Amino acid sequence: MATVVKHDPTQALDPFKSVKKLPLEEYFTSGHRTCQGCESALLMKLMAKAAGPRTIVLGSTGCMYVANTTYYSTSWVVPWMHTQLGSSGSAALGTAAALKVLMRKGKMKNEPINVIAFCGDGGGADMGISGISATLTHPDYNCLILMYDNESYANTDIQLSGSTPWGANTTFSTPGKVKRIMHHRWKKNMAGMMAAGHPECKYVSTISMSYGLHAMNSMRKALAIGGPTFVHSLDPCPKGWDYDPYLSHEIGELAVNTGVWPLYEIENGVLRLTGRTQQIAAGKIRRQPVRDYLTKQGRFAHFTADDTDYFQSKIDEMWTKWLYPGVIPFRKEIEADSAPAE
Amino acid sequence: MGRLFAIEIIYRGIFQKTLARNISRAIVLAAHKEGKPGISFGRYGDSPERNGIPAKSFAIVATDDVTLEEGMAKYEPKDVDITICVDDTLAKGVESWAWYGLQPVNKLLKPGGTLIVTSRLEADPIIAMCHRKETPYEMAILKAIPSFSGLWVYKDDHTDVRILGAIAKILPDLFSLKSVQAAITDEWHDAVKVTSAARAYEKLTTVTVKPTQGNPEVPFKFDLPKWHEMGEGIVIPSIPAGHKMEDPGTHATGGYKPDRNPTFKKFSTRTMRPVVDFDTCIKCTLCWLQCPDSCFDVTPEGLYDANMEACCGCGVCEAVCPVPNCVTMVNESSFHDNASQWVAWRKDKTNYKGWVQEKIKGHGERSHGFRYLGQYEEQVPEMLDIATKG
Repeated sequence: MATVVKHDPTQALDPFKSVKKLPLEEYFTSGHRTCQGCESALLMKLMAKAAGPRTIVLGSTGCMYVANTTYYSTSWVVPWMHTQLGSSGSAALGTAAALKVLMRKGKMKNEPINVIAFCGDGGGADMGISGISATLTHPDYNCLILMYDNESYANTDIQLSGSTPWGANTTFSTPGKVKRIMHHRWKKNMAGMMAAGHPECKYVSTISMSYGLHAMNSMRKALAIGGPTFVHSLDPCPKGWDYDPYLSHEIGELAVNTGVWPLYEIENGVLRLTGRTQQIAAGKIRRQPVRDYLTKQGRFAHFTADDTDYFQSKIDEMWTKWLYPGVIPFRKEIEADSAPAE
Repeated sequence: MGRLFAIEIIYRGIFQKTLARNISRAIVLAAHKEGKPGISFGRYGDSPERNGIPAKSFAIVATDDVTLEEGMAKYEPKDVDITICVDDTLAKGVESWAWYGLQPVNKLLKPGGTLIVTSRLEADPIIAMCHRKETPYEMAILKAIPSFSGLWVYKDDHTDVRILGAIAKILPDLFSLKSVQAAITDEWHDAVKVTSAARAYEKLTTVTVKPTQGNPEVPFKFDLPKWHEMGEGIVIPSIPAGHKMEDPGTHATGGYKPDRNPTFKKFSTRTMRPVVDFDTCIKCTLCWLQCPDSCFDVTPEGLYDANMEACCGCGVCEAVCPVPNCVTMVNESSFHDNASQWVAWRKDKTNYKGWVQEKIKGHGERSHGFRYLGQYEEQVPEMLDIATKG
């Protein structure tokens, strides 16, 4: 049967060859009101750099809305529009559809324009998940949904979200004298879920701002491949994770090197581990102990040795017991799970 | 009508949030010991706080309920008896993330009011950082390492109670040292903290700052748009694309300087700034690429010049730079302007080299929160030593 999918041509966005070949222009510039060392602001900058000037950005409520477009000023160079907390998916789809129809009717110049909608983990993995899911099932529209995941509702002072890791201190899970671990849920596997659940979606990937070139090339691929795509970035947050902002880059690297944050892409249904994750999986480098990652963050300062061991065991499980290591938690057999005593 | 006391605490968002809350809450509790009603609150416009961006907390106390109600009817006090500045680099001004431009740190002080600054420096360099004020005021330096921690782990180095002791000395009508000590005991059950407050009370001295002293510059400000200038809905102009840079000597053009948000400058968000040694730079691009604030201008010869209108002092550039001492974070109090380092280097490379060496030598490293488990426990004894000696 002939395909009925008719998405318009996308921009030719070849991978950047090296950091020395990057365009100098910024399309998300200075003067935003984010924290010192904000990795999500860095994501906005590199996303805009990767996409280039012919881009429309839509942002659902969260830090990257409130901090970047406040008090009648902005740091966006490309057009940007706010959308509601849970509606990054619908905003992306609607904008892409509107562009398509305006061009078809000759009301605007026919040219490929990138449509990117971003959401935080609260706006994406919690509230907006149904809208994002719906968008990823519409193959005829070119748009990228970019989730910046700082593992909490960071804008409103760090309430826990579906992306908050086990045991972390948040406004909703403050450790007390009687109960130490107030958050028992494990982080939602958003990228894996989007890939597994949307077979027509041509591209899903995970990225980290500590690997800027890799991240930009991943976003360029997501924009150029056609149809709706999803990219998930883990962004260390000095405010909510409680660390000295100069550590932002290092903590991003540690998340990857300890195996907590596997980098991968699923392109036209083909899974490929990328970057350092690929090297870890191939046995070229060793996975660092998660302790190195946890002890640099105040949100885990209440952890006992048992808690750290348990965290490590869950990461090990992700790497050794999952059928697709680090990607999708399908297993061959039931595993026992014993959380530390409280 | 009774008497109204107003105290403001100017602090670094998130880093000193708990510290500011502890101080402002304990002020009200100590005044309550003497039968005075009061309220402690954070400034609405500062919320949600961002790491490092200046924020304010207020304690309002009155001799009776009616006077307090009158004082509380204001969004924030118009003038204050005491301004507490818990980080000395804030003396350069307060650029809130709400829309105020840059306000002098002493702006709200009543004539003859007192500015308390926690610092390792003497009064003179701090006075030089503060904008000039038309009326004289008092300045008290509380010898301390500015106390920074984060949202979850508090560094209990007694800065909070030492400031309370200092207030009792400066404004005895508000509360006595005895009341402060009673409030500290109720709140913390810690005899050592009670002693630290008494030490600060005993040792505190003030100097008078005259209208002729201080930074003569007009603080950075901008015009607010008129209602008829605002776009339909909430449409605002985007930032224009940037432009090439020009070499001050050869007038060659090249590189790239982005245009920036014209109203929010981060002049007073940073406590440190990068000092760049252009002679050792290998042009690896990492500082420029990894800067979340796009603060690096790319010069015609492909160097990276940290622009002080955009740098918020996070230190990521230093962390990613592969060359030793090429990018070094230096305490903001060592600088008196926001001039381009690259322009200075282009004008006189030998002179610049000396300047870099001098800045790096005394760069006064400071800790901006949690780096590793057990770090605060290591830092507290030094602070307690200062607290004991005064």
